[in-house]
Amino acid sequence: MLWYKAWLETRTRFLIALAGMTALGAWRTYNLSHMMPAWTGASYYYFVLREAHDLLNPMFVLATTLLLMGGLLQEKSNGPALFTLGLPVSRGRLMSAQIGMGLLEGIVLLAVPWAAICITVVLTGPMRPGNLAVFYAMVTASGGAVFAGVSLLASSLIEGTYTAPIVSLGVAFLCVNAPKSWAAVNPSEFMGARAWLDRSNMLTGPWPWGQAAAFLAVAAALIWTSIKVIEKRDF
Amino acid sequence: MTRSMIETRDLSKRYGETYAVRNLNLNVQPGRITAFLGLNGAGKSTTIRMLLGMIRPSEGGGHILGYRLEDPDENVALRKDVAFVSEDKRLYPYMTVAQMLHFTRGFFPAWRDDLAETLLRKYELPPGRKVRHLSKGMRTKLALILAIARRPKLLILDEPSEGLDPRGTEQLLETLTSECAEGTTVFFSSHQIEEVERISDQICVIHRGTLVMDAAVDELRQSWRRVDIVMPWAPKPEDFQMRGVEKIRTRGQQVSVVVSENTDGVVERAREAGANAIEVAPLNLRELFLRTIEE
Repeated sequence: MLWYKAWLETRTRFLIALAGMTALGAWRTYNLSHMMPAWTGASYYYFVLREAHDLLNPMFVLATTLLLMGGLLQEKSNGPALFTLGLPVSRGRLMSAQIGMGLLEGIVLLAVPWAAICITVVLTGPMRPGNLAVFYAMVTASGGAVFAGVSLLASSLIEGTYTAPIVSLGVAFLCVNAPKSWAAVNPSEFMGARAWLDRSNMLTGPWPWGQAAAFLAVAAALIWTSIKVIEKRDF
Repeated sequence: MTRSMIETRDLSKRYGETYAVRNLNLNVQPGRITAFLGLNGAGKSTTIRMLLGMIRPSEGGGHILGYRLEDPDENVALRKDVAFVSEDKRLYPYMTVAQMLHFTRGFFPAWRDDLAETLLRKYELPPGRKVRHLSKGMRTKLALILAIARRPKLLILDEPSEGLDPRGTEQLLETLTSECAEGTTVFFSSHQIEEVERISDQICVIHRGTLVMDAAVDELRQSWRRVDIVMPWAPKPEDFQMRGVEKIRTRGQQVSVVVSENTDGVVERAREAGANAIEVAPLNLRELFLRTIEE
């Protein structure tokens, strides 16, 4: 039932985000595919995928930020927190359902737009972009998880409908504009994935599993902290 | 002896140096309607939220239905048998009435669909309407259905008649009375003294975070009296300080004494002191409440 609630709570935001990301991703890919100069050949599609990836990254961060706004503290400012807390479930379980639904929706927000982009690329040209598309989805998921964790923590610490998303997006903005010397620890830089691609946007070496795991660990720590904050809070 | 439904010992909540609730010792007996009266900011809502684990007590603790309220795990378990209707009656705005019912019933195995449907018809709530489009009165009715259909042993309501029109208030009081008749213990906070007087068996008054009265309504009606005395001289409050005297107010030659027992003793003392006039009158709840919280 908590999953049912989490779905009803987020479905409008989720469906708008999914439709927007899928349509824009596919449209951008289709448009760029049609502008392909004759002399570039298949490698042009790496550029197309790169462009689609650059388009999807900020949309993914924005979507997950908005999807994770909610939870008990936001319900407190909107009203129904007392009804929720009157149910025979622990705060940990309440948050788990919110996080679980956010995770599922995040996976769909990665998979569906990328599937649409891949289909568009295949239909408009000679390329089979599976490996690179999965790589892009992986870096987006790992880096994006940190921003999702920040959003969850913000919505667990800051009351108010608008303050928490503004703070979360502010953190994302700071990461995007952080100095290059911080690149190794910057999830935004990781999502951009430029360090693993050559000038023609092809993968140059092994996938950065270690860094991806580190960002996922940071995200897990942020989520754990959010749950603890909510468990200790008075409503 | 019957086990209390709610029993707190020295329950306190402190914010910095300020106590919202201080050393509260509540005792709510089963099968009764207990009203929890107090002015705004007296500590009613804080107390209720502590009982339900929404606010952690700073000191003290207690039991509800035998569960320790300060233990988060036991508090989850007790909420299976306790229903709560909050003051603002806010529910999920993105759900319809039917979805709210469907969602809530999933947590309570003893949920009664027939009762929910009967009340839905009685209260004329449209199942397909979104909660965000319900008036406060309709939200209150829906919150009440969600609380009652789960068949709780204890029903806790914070200002339940807030936002209801007279007809809605009447339906609410009827519902609470019939729920109590079916064995549910009701504990509710209110400002509406007339409603409290109509349906309550027991009254607890909280003032500045402290319990200042806990008495049965019948006992209040039978034994509490106001004795108005006119003396030939200006008396001091100490002149009437004796057993059963709860409050004394003097103004010039007049003295007004609120007694919980021993009315005859007070009258006798006034006579012995040469009172010009003595009048004994029963106290209504409003007067009693106001006298109790008088500084």
